[in-house]
Amino acid sequence: MGRKRRWILLGVVALGTWAGFGAYTQQQKPLDPFEEAMRQRQMYLETFGVLPGELFVEEGKELFFRKGPSGKTLEECDFGKGKGVLEGVYAILPKYFPDTKRVEDLETRVYTCMQTVQGFKPSEIKRDEVKAITTYIASFSSKARIQVVPKHPAELAMYNLGRELWYTRAGARDMSCAVCHDQYAGQRVRLSPVRSPKQGLGNEWPAYRFEEDKLYTMQDRIDFCYESIAIPKPEFYSEVHIALTVYMLAEATKAGRSFEELPFFTR
Amino acid sequence: MKLKKLFPILLATPLVVALAQSYFTPSELEAIKTGGKAYAEVFLNQRPDQALCSFHRNRLPADLLPQFLEEQRALIKYPASGKLMGDWKKGGAIFNNLQKANCFSCHFGSPVHLGGDVGPSLEKYGLKRGQSEAIQRYTYEVIYNAWAYFPCTVMYRFGALGGLTPEEIADVVAYLLDPESEFNTKPAVGSK
Repeated sequence: MGRKRRWILLGVVALGTWAGFGAYTQQQKPLDPFEEAMRQRQMYLETFGVLPGELFVEEGKELFFRKGPSGKTLEECDFGKGKGVLEGVYAILPKYFPDTKRVEDLETRVYTCMQTVQGFKPSEIKRDEVKAITTYIASFSSKARIQVVPKHPAELAMYNLGRELWYTRAGARDMSCAVCHDQYAGQRVRLSPVRSPKQGLGNEWPAYRFEEDKLYTMQDRIDFCYESIAIPKPEFYSEVHIALTVYMLAEATKAGRSFEELPFFTR
Repeated sequence: MKLKKLFPILLATPLVVALAQSYFTPSELEAIKTGGKAYAEVFLNQRPDQALCSFHRNRLPADLLPQFLEEQRALIKYPASGKLMGDWKKGGAIFNNLQKANCFSCHFGSPVHLGGDVGPSLEKYGLKRGQSEAIQRYTYEVIYNAWAYFPCTVMYRFGALGGLTPEEIADVVAYLLDPESEFNTKPAVGSK
């Protein structure tokens, strides 16, 4: 499916969503956001026969097989299980990659390979393209058991950094991740249930958020949290996102959590 | 006299010790800087009290509490007028604004938005507590600096970190306490 067609479809879908959504937030009784998302998901399927997330997967697939300036596609990239292997790779990331000597999450790995394998300059790489490719590759780990176990010294260092960032209170609102996601796990901020890493926090990204009519990756979702606690967003593909992701998914791994259907459909 | 000079140093010692055990190593600080200047500055400029709460995972040891509470109390300032209850209508606009005070995200009781349940319910706050000077002062001070009452709590220190002015805080106090306020006259969203 072409990208143009995707946007037309999303536009139509968005109109329908907003009409339903107004009624949803103004109700007196707190609705379960998960149930509401499942209801919306069903509505999309019945109306359009396709979920918005699938359109991003299609777009990502096209981009995955697009030749870069070097003449190579992303089939030549090692995402963690060897060249061209996509099955289950998202479930083992972030991990250490000897070629870059760096711990990378999937988004960062895509960004890396678009440069080192495909020959794009950083300025030529669009964030939306990285998101779509990430979504395509993540779809091969739908409902997979999370398997992030830091072993390499660089992975352990990233886990430790992520844990410290998780607990650090900073900024004009004195916030940290832990102060909500550990202490108040199971409770509600507005409509949103708060989850801890052990409860599987982060296991639904990349996901299409119908409330925003946008696709969010893990890095986007971390940024959304930072925005709401008045701390400026870290740069994409920086150590910060990767460290926090290692910490959260390693904790989810210990608790035996799995990913949701990827890409997920959520508020 | 010598002891008097030493006293502030002695007081500061536990804090310095806590900071000396600062949890970011030099290489971790380098990693944080990859997040960009604006992001890194928040962590490089972390306040000592924030560091203390982070270090102790928000449960301060008993021996640190008296000094901590005293320092937090010292940060509280009052409106020039001396009035702790301002305009409840203005207070409502502040209370119910996500970008401003964002109170409803954690507290139940707003007649405008469905409240969360991270903080205690404030439903009909003024009707249940009255408007005595003591309750006005308590409410004002908790909003100004929650850490003076609940060390390391999740609630923003609105006055102490400049999120709201003393006058704005007095407006929120009025929104909660004034019997005429819609907070007390209208049903809370989600109430049974």
